[in-house]
Amino acid sequence: MSEIDELRDAVADVLRARSTAEALEAAERDGWAPDVWSALAEGGFATVAVPESAGGSGGSVAQACAVLEACGAASAPVPVAETGLLAGRLLASAGLSVPEGPVTTVASPGVSFSDGVLAGAVDRVPWGRSASLALVAGSSVVVVAPGSGVVTPGRNIAGEPRDHVDLTGVRPLESAPVGPDAVEDLRRRGALSRAALIAGAARAVLDLTVRYTGEREQFGRPVAKFPAVAAHLVQIAEQAEIAAMAARSAAEGAGEEGEPAALDVAAAFSVASDAAGAVATAAHQATGAMGMTREFGLGVLTRRLWSWRDEWGGGAAWAAELGRSLAAGGADAFWPTISRGLVASS
Amino acid sequence: MIFSPTSLSAAEDALRHEVRAWLAKTLPTDFRPGLGLGGRHDPEFSRALAAQGWVGMSIPEEYGGAGATTVERFVVVEELLAAGAPITAHWIAERQTAPALLRFGTEEQRRWFLPRIAAGECFFSLGMSEPDAGSDLASVKTTAVREDDGWRVSGTKVWTTNAHLNHFFVVLCRTSTADDRHAGLSQLIVDLSSPGVSVSPIPLIDGELHVNEVVLDDVYVPDDRVLGDIGQGWTQVTAELAHERSGPDRYCSVIGLLHSYLAEIGVPDDRSAAAFGRIAARLWSIRQLSLAVARSLDEGEAPATEAALVKDVGTIFEQQTVETIREIAALEIDPEGSMLQQLLAECVMNAPSWTLRGGTTEILRGIAAKALTRGGAR
Ligand SMILES: Cc1cc2nc3c(=O)[nH]c(=O)nc-3n(C[C@H](O)[C@H](O)[C@H](O)COP(=O)(O)OP(=O)(O)OC[C@H]3O[C@@H](n4cnc5c(N)ncnc54)[C@H](O)[C@@H]3O)c2cc1C
Repeated sequence: MSEIDELRDAVADVLRARSTAEALEAAERDGWAPDVWSALAEGGFATVAVPESAGGSGGSVAQACAVLEACGAASAPVPVAETGLLAGRLLASAGLSVPEGPVTTVASPGVSFSDGVLAGAVDRVPWGRSASLALVAGSSVVVVAPGSGVVTPGRNIAGEPRDHVDLTGVRPLESAPVGPDAVEDLRRRGALSRAALIAGAARAVLDLTVRYTGEREQFGRPVAKFPAVAAHLVQIAEQAEIAAMAARSAAEGAGEEGEPAALDVAAAFSVASDAAGAVATAAHQATGAMGMTREFGLGVLTRRLWSWRDEWGGGAAWAAELGRSLAAGGADAFWPTISRGLVASS
Repeated sequence: MIFSPTSLSAAEDALRHEVRAWLAKTLPTDFRPGLGLGGRHDPEFSRALAAQGWVGMSIPEEYGGAGATTVERFVVVEELLAAGAPITAHWIAERQTAPALLRFGTEEQRRWFLPRIAAGECFFSLGMSEPDAGSDLASVKTTAVREDDGWRVSGTKVWTTNAHLNHFFVVLCRTSTADDRHAGLSQLIVDLSSPGVSVSPIPLIDGELHVNEVVLDDVYVPDDRVLGDIGQGWTQVTAELAHERSGPDRYCSVIGLLHSYLAEIGVPDDRSAAAFGRIAARLWSIRQLSLAVARSLDEGEAPATEAALVKDVGTIFEQQTVETIREIAALEIDPEGSMLQQLLAECVMNAPSWTLRGGTTEILRGIAAKALTRGGAR
């Protein structure tokens, strides 16, 4: 087993006893899951891919994505992607340290920063009510304390907090100038984080659906024995496989310390976001009415698939970006670009 | 299941660029690409390619090959298919027959056939399907009867691609009437120029004549042309199919189409940009899957289920790509029109066969479903 596989399994082990059905119900009600968060944070899993010098656990983008796959599979209702891969790396790129506790971030084109004061608002902020907020404002990256500004609660289909935060008049705790690539890099890591979460959840949907259709009997045999139902299982397996390969390839492409490439992320998120819908549809068809119940546990996964595929711009927008960039490169560059793949450096 | 991405070594990547550069100078500039393994039958090209050492690469050096790994062969074959190079003449011999000879052939057969295959001089067809045996391959009726030091074969094979142009074909036939219908099957190497072999074309919907009916009327096959063991035909054939399912031929049929779409139209609006980007994203991901299967074969695994999944995903991708490109190109297709129109015409008329040949979609999904439900897939 590779190191990456071991890391994914370690996170799955931490979450198995904590990201339970009861914990998920409570998180949806309360907007926060303190036990899940503290277990992941204590293990150092929330800040993978953030350099140790910035207070993180170190590691590559691929390792952070392995953690996210496990979080997606367990529906972990906490901002692990935001704290580490997204905000943590953003702060580190500006020479700042990651604050204690959960940190969140979001694309923030409408926020400005002058004379030490912020103006503008951000929308759909994951766990905006409970986490420190790291943002690019103008040519700076800023950190504001949890609960700063005017927070209007919102949520996604899965009941995960996606809040509106008006920052006008807020004074950041810290700020530092940030390089010109920071916004674009953050956007890419945002899309990649959703691809990894989707890949993990899709795999969990496969396991759950295979198990249920193997046990549920109709007409005297397990429903999985009916070819039409088996075809749904194959469809889920294929989509889970292709989403995982896409997310992992894009993450590996970042190497030990680098950022993921534009083309790789666009391809991975487009594929994963399409897979999300296909997996959810097939799984609900195969599990019948039981799959539609709150109790069964498919819904916590499919509601996340339906949410994540639209975040950070959504798969279709990334596909369009990929299409435009390939067209701009010209016909003769098409195959060489697609087939570049991963090449070992040594 | 679920493979990890694999990196090419610097040497493997260099090989890719070498093949690409050679193709650029060897294929004419006005070259019309074939649809992946639907490329033209061109013995001269096959020999030129063989002279580069790129035919039968995975055949060991002692039999005239390069002793290359599965991944090295993957890299070369992917470039050839992506360019739509005319590879059909040697395709089956190198992809299917050479590995079968290495696994099941006698030393004498290897010494005779393998160097000729690697030289691009000995071409094979596949003699599996029959009028009454398609997906249910074990129901073949072609029968070989024992005679002195050989066999007399009679029966009818259909859909035999390029039997009118190739030298041999491997015939799956019945050599005993055992009750177990799998047990009585064997594979014989039949010389297509033998007395008693008659080949007649079966025109396909586009008017092309590359598949045939091959009637075998009391054809003599000497003992030294039996492939593997008598009665082991079924095991041998299933091993062959499982290994060859997930290669680049399952997603490369449309590369020429995508190239000519970009060259002639590009992405004028958001809708076409998103549609084209989606295709590219799938292609990018599927080739990583296919490459991962190749790498795992080199590592000694036998990922039959994964290979079936990759073939299914790949061929469905190819079909969807044709539909999408047709939609965003938004033109009426004239088969003699621009390069894009020519390729679209060929794609539209050939796409249905992509999910039939080499195991239909339904059969592949059946294989994958069995593995999933018995927990056979990791
Ligand atoms: C262009 C082309 C080239 C070919 N070249 C060759 C060649 O060189 N040599 C050779 O031997 N063969 C060749 N073939 C034949 C190919 O291998 C067969 O088409 C394939 O095995 C399917 O058999 P069939 O066409 O008889 O379809 P059938 O088996 O008659 O199937 C008809 C339909 O029934 C479905 N079906 C059948 N059984 C089941 C089942 N158990 N469960 C669910 N669905 C089922 C199939 O999926 C399909 O949809 C070629 C085919 C094509 C199209």
